[in-house]
Amino acid sequence: MAMEISRSDSSQPNFAGPSGGRARSSWRVARSVWFALFMRETISRTMADRMGWFWMIFEPLAIIGVMVSVRGLFMSGRHIAGADYVAWMVVGLMGFMLFRENMMRSIGAIEANRGLFAYRQVKPIDPVLVRCFLEGMLKSLIFILFITIGSLLKFELMPDYPFGAMMDWLSLWALGWGMGLTLSVLGDLVPEIGKVARILNLPLLLLSGVIFPVLYVPHQYREYLLMNPIVHGLESMRMNFFSGYHTIDGIDMTYLWFWALALISLGLVLHMRFRDQLKAH
Amino acid sequence: MIEIRNLYKRYHNHHDSPWVLKDINLTIPTGVSVGLLGRNGAGKSTLLRLIGGMDSPDRGDIVRNSRVSWPIGLAGGFQGSMTGRQNVKFVARIHGAEEEIERVVREVEAFAEIGNAFDDPVKTYSSGMRSRLAFGLSLAFDFDVYLSDEATAVGDRAFKAKAKEAFKARVGKASLIMVSHGEGVLREFCEAGIVLEKGQARWFDDIEEAIGAYHQATDGKKIEPPKVPTSLSEAKQQLMQANLEFEQARLDYQIASDDPARNDPDDALRWRVEESRERMHEARRYVQQFQSQAKAKPRKRTTKTTKKTGRP
Repeated sequence: MAMEISRSDSSQPNFAGPSGGRARSSWRVARSVWFALFMRETISRTMADRMGWFWMIFEPLAIIGVMVSVRGLFMSGRHIAGADYVAWMVVGLMGFMLFRENMMRSIGAIEANRGLFAYRQVKPIDPVLVRCFLEGMLKSLIFILFITIGSLLKFELMPDYPFGAMMDWLSLWALGWGMGLTLSVLGDLVPEIGKVARILNLPLLLLSGVIFPVLYVPHQYREYLLMNPIVHGLESMRMNFFSGYHTIDGIDMTYLWFWALALISLGLVLHMRFRDQLKAH
Repeated sequence: MIEIRNLYKRYHNHHDSPWVLKDINLTIPTGVSVGLLGRNGAGKSTLLRLIGGMDSPDRGDIVRNSRVSWPIGLAGGFQGSMTGRQNVKFVARIHGAEEEIERVVREVEAFAEIGNAFDDPVKTYSSGMRSRLAFGLSLAFDFDVYLSDEATAVGDRAFKAKAKEAFKARVGKASLIMVSHGEGVLREFCEAGIVLEKGQARWFDDIEEAIGAYHQATDGKKIEPPKVPTSLSEAKQQLMQANLEFEQARLDYQIASDDPARNDPDDALRWRVEESRERMHEARRYVQQFQSQAKAKPRKRTTKTTKKTGRP
């Protein structure tokens, strides 16, 4: 990765290890920083809060519960063709939350770790990368947990095409990663952007077809709906979960990956360009 | 050896952004401890941060052919919600000491002497405890050059003495680049000096010369290097002298600040007040030191000094 070039570090304390005395390579420095940050973030996510673990599992459960009951109350009668609507919504919500958490956690990542930039080995991009990685791991773990418990309770949540579902999951993760990388820089330089992103959370949830099936959207608006890359990811994942599920035409994972790669590149470039401003703030 | 070549640095403010450091060229030889002098805002801390690699210069470069620490005693590099132990482990990890993590943790724990608080979140620490932890952490790694930004001024007296000892033990193996307003500390630790003024740096092989030049630059007055008093009466005399100088400086400053047509962009008079205040405190410390010595061993009347001090 191009970021690592600047990390060359000829000034390390040496230890009586196999590499004692010589400077560590950039890649090794980066790896130790990521590992250290990963341990630190993991501890603060899971242990710092008294109920850290509990909330991590209960929060998505509660959101799903609320959404399902809202639908049951106000939209009874409507059902999803080819899928149980609770399972349909669980898949959509988990996929959307994977994207959203990656984006939102990244915005605060630089600010929360500002003190660590005193150690020159730590670059502003490191906490963002580590947070996205950790967030994805946690969400994957929780999703797998839901699927396993669901299956044990004879509740249809096992994907019909597991490989495809996994690829879609990774794609949404990559999209969240790119959004996080980009917004972490912009949100730090211009704090208002972070606030706007927070406000846009709810409209984005509605526009991504998490709660309302996109099939209900009138024909003439569908092409605008399809501009949102999250829709592609969620619908593709639902199709891989439920073999009988049908959705609107034009779902294209290449489009999502176009967004994901563009955002990742933009984020990396921004991190390179504004590295000093991000540190100094 | 640390080489600084054509270094320029400025901070981008909303209005104008003047150069804080302008075309600095310096070579700091291996094993030489250096004191950085200059009044507030002259760029001492900026230069130290640049040497430490925490900040990057706008132009020019810095070549570090040695292992340089982060500023020791830096209490900002902790995460408040994590315990002291977890924070120490984190720093050890980023420095690639995964295999030696136990040794580092043990050393820091022993040095910091904060007892069970080592396993409490850092946000519950007092500032003294924080700096004990930070100091212990800096000393757990073997650096060639330690950077210090007023670091020896933290903690209570016993801890300060301990920190000083730990430093002295490293002289010969490691050197120090230090920013301090305490001239006593600079004299004690440093051999050479750098005076920063108006963005320019001047190198002095002798710290005494650097302190002299610094005073000449600020108020045009030459200050004699203070003598270390050898007896209580001598110390008391020095304290009286320092008190007088301080009163005089304060009076000058008050008169000057009452004058509306005053033209003093550098605030030299105010700094003279601060410095004479510092000298007064130093003199008072000496007096207290002699007085406590007198209390500690009142029986020994054989040595010359005890007679002179006229203790009870």
